[in-house]
Amino acid sequence: MEKVVIIRYAEIHLKGKNRGYFEHVFSINLEKSLKGIRHELHRLSGRWLVANFEEELAEEIAERISRVFGVQSYSIGFQVGSSMDEIFAAVKCVAPASGTFKVVTHRGYKKYPLTSMEVSAAIGGRLLSENPALKVDVHEPEHTVYVDIRENDTALVFGSYEPGVGGMPVGTGGKGLLMISGGIDSPVAGYMMAKRGLTVELLHFHSYPYTNEGAKEKVVTLAKILSQYSLVVKLTTVSVTHIQEEIHAKCAAELNVTLLRRFMFRIAERFAKREGMQCLITGESLGQVASQTIEGMTSSNAVVTLPVLRPLVGFDKDEIIERAKKIGTFETSIMPFEDCCTVFLPEHPATRPKLSFIEGEEGKLEVEALVEEALKTAEKIFF
Amino acid sequence: MIYLDNAATTSPDEEALARATQFYCESYFNPSASYGGGFAVHTALEEARKKILSTLADPSKFELIFTSSGTEADNHAIFSGARRGNAVTTAGEHAAVERSFNELKARGVEPRYAPLHKDGSVNIEKLLSLVDEKTALVSAVHVSNETGAVNDIFTIAREVKRKNPRTLFHADGVQAFGKLQVKLAPEIDLYSVSAHKIGGIKGVGALFKRKSIALSPLIHGGGQESALRSGTENVLGILDFAYAAERRFAVLKENGARVAALKAQFCKNLNENFTILSPENGSPYVLTLSVEGARGEVLQRMLWDMGVCVGTGSACSSKNRHSRVLKACGYGEKVLDGVLRVSFSPESTMEECVKAAQIMNTVAGKFLHLTN
Repeated sequence: MEKVVIIRYAEIHLKGKNRGYFEHVFSINLEKSLKGIRHELHRLSGRWLVANFEEELAEEIAERISRVFGVQSYSIGFQVGSSMDEIFAAVKCVAPASGTFKVVTHRGYKKYPLTSMEVSAAIGGRLLSENPALKVDVHEPEHTVYVDIRENDTALVFGSYEPGVGGMPVGTGGKGLLMISGGIDSPVAGYMMAKRGLTVELLHFHSYPYTNEGAKEKVVTLAKILSQYSLVVKLTTVSVTHIQEEIHAKCAAELNVTLLRRFMFRIAERFAKREGMQCLITGESLGQVASQTIEGMTSSNAVVTLPVLRPLVGFDKDEIIERAKKIGTFETSIMPFEDCCTVFLPEHPATRPKLSFIEGEEGKLEVEALVEEALKTAEKIFF
Repeated sequence: MIYLDNAATTSPDEEALARATQFYCESYFNPSASYGGGFAVHTALEEARKKILSTLADPSKFELIFTSSGTEADNHAIFSGARRGNAVTTAGEHAAVERSFNELKARGVEPRYAPLHKDGSVNIEKLLSLVDEKTALVSAVHVSNETGAVNDIFTIAREVKRKNPRTLFHADGVQAFGKLQVKLAPEIDLYSVSAHKIGGIKGVGALFKRKSIALSPLIHGGGQESALRSGTENVLGILDFAYAAERRFAVLKENGARVAALKAQFCKNLNENFTILSPENGSPYVLTLSVEGARGEVLQRMLWDMGVCVGTGSACSSKNRHSRVLKACGYGEKVLDGVLRVSFSPESTMEECVKAAQIMNTVAGKFLHLTN
C-alpha cells in the first residue's frame, strides 16, 4: 500500500488536437511545483499520480498541487494491488470512524471479476461488520469512499475530492507583462491572467527617493506569493522619478497622473516587446480612482499597440479584496508602504481629460528621451 | 558616509567592544553558576554595574537594574511605579513612555499629559497642576529625542515631591546619559538609560533605582537582578556598556563643548531654506530642523544617496506622518512635513559637519526646485 496524490485536470480535455501540448505543459508545471521534493509523477488516463514520496510530505505535496493552474481536483489516497483484501486494507485507512457513508467504485479495468456495484457492496459490507458506529446512506452520506480499479492490477483508494484552482496551465496562453504597484489590485489581475495560461512577468515603477525601499520590498514579497501560482516570476523595476519631476515642472497639474500613466504604458510596452511578451496587464477597475475612468484608459491605450488586459475592470473593490485574500496577497498589499508619494499628487486630478489637451501638455516634454532614460534604470530581480 | 543620526544609534565603541568580546569568549560561564568560572563572570558583572551606577548616582543610595533596552527600563518604571490613582507625564515623551502611559488606562490608572512649550520642553507649571494626592508616578523625559530640549527634571522632581511626597518620579534619560553632566538627586527615584546611544551595542539598557523604593518585576524567572529582572544577564552587552560609558564619561565635558561647537558651525552653514526647531539651550547633540514645503523622508533618502545619514520626524505618506512631539510643540503641517533631525556624536568632525550642511543645502534646494 503506497500513499499517492491523485491529480485531475480542468479544461485540457477540451483542447482537441492541441491536448498533447497542453498536457505536456501541465506536466512540466506539476514538476516545477514539486521542486525539492523527491517523487515520481505518472500520467494515467485523464489524471496524474504523484507517487514514491515520503509519506509525511503528502500534505505538502497536496498544498503545492492545489495552487497549480489546470488542476481541477486532487485527492490524497493509496495505490494498492487490485485484490479485494488489499483494497479493503486501504479503505480502512480512509474510512471515517463514525457516521454515514457510501462506497463509490469506478472500474477502469472492465475484466475485473466483480462489477462496480458488487465491489462497493462487498467493501461497504465488510466496513459495516467491522465498525458498528458506521451506517450506510447512499443518498446523502456524510463520507464517501472512492475505489478506482485500474488496468495494471492496481487500485486507487481515496476519501475525498479536494477542489484545485482550475484554469489553464501557465505557459499555454502566451506571455504578458503585469504592471504591479504594490496595492491590492494588480497582484489579483496577474493571478487571473496566469490562471488563463498566461506566463506573467512583472514590471514595477518606483519614484525613489520620493518612494521608499519598503515599497519595493513589498512588491518583491507579492511577486514571491504570485510565483507559487505562476511558478516562474521575473520582476523588473524601473524608476519614473525624473519623468514625474519633468511632468510636475512643465505640465498642467491636473494631468500629472494621466501623463505619468501614459509614460508607464509606453515604458511597459517597449520592455514587453523587447522581452517577447504579447500583452500588458493592469489591475485597473473602472471608476475606482480618478485615473481609472474610460477616458483615462483611452488615453493610456492611445500610446500603445499591444493589447492591454484589465481582468478586474468590472470588479468591485470588495470582490477584488476577497480574491486577494484567497490568493494570499492581501496582507502584504495593505502593509503601510505607500507606492506613490503624495508630493506629486494634484489636489484635483482630471477625471475626463481630453486627448487633445493631454497631447498638447505632453508636447512640452522630451517623451522619447525620457522613456529611454527610464528603461535604462531597469533592474531585474529573478525568482 | 557622514553619519549624523546618533540619536537613533551610535557606531560601536570598538575598543570597548573588543575588551568585552575578549572577556566574553574566555569567560562564557553563567554568572549564576556557583563554580569558579561563574563567579568570575558574576564579579565582572558587578564591577560593570558599579561603574555605570557611579557615573550618575551615589552607590549608597541608588542601585542599577540591567534590562534589554531603554524601552524596557521605561516600561518597568511605569508599570511598577503606577499601580493606582493617576500618573502624569509630558506630551514630549519617547514612544516607550507614551505608549506605556496609554496602556495604564487599561490597567485602571488615569494617565495625564502635560503640554509642551514651543521649544519642546514641558510646561512645568501645568505639569505640577496635574499632580494631586492620588498621583502615583510622574515621568518626564530628560532630553527630548525629537527636539533636544532639556527638561529641568530636578526642579520638576522637587516640586512634585513637595506637592505629594509619596509620588514616584521617573525620568527617561536615554538621550542625556553620557552627554549631560548630572548627578541624580534624591528626589529622582528612577532613571532609564540605554547603551547603544553612547557606543554600546543594541540590546542593553538599565534602570537606576533609588534603594529606598520598592519595585515589582516585569519579568519573572531565575531571580537575577535582585529578582527584579529575571533572565540570564547579557554579559557581553553589559560589559561593553560599562567600558563604553567609562570612556564616554571620562571626557564628557570636553565632548559637550566640542559637539556644541560642531552644532553651532553646522547651523551657521545652513541656508535660509532651513528653520531650526531645537531650542538654543537644548542638548548640543540634537538639532531638529525643518525645510518648509519639503518632505523629511524624501530629503532623508536623497541625503543618504549623497552620503549623509540623518534622522527624520516625518514619514512620507503613512497615517501618522507627523511627529507627535513636534505637533505638540504647536508647529503647522508645512513645518512638520519637512522635519529632519541631525544628531552628532563626539566622533563627528568639523569637516564632516561643514560638508554635510553644504550637501543638505543642495538637497533641500533641489527638492524645493523640483516640487514647487
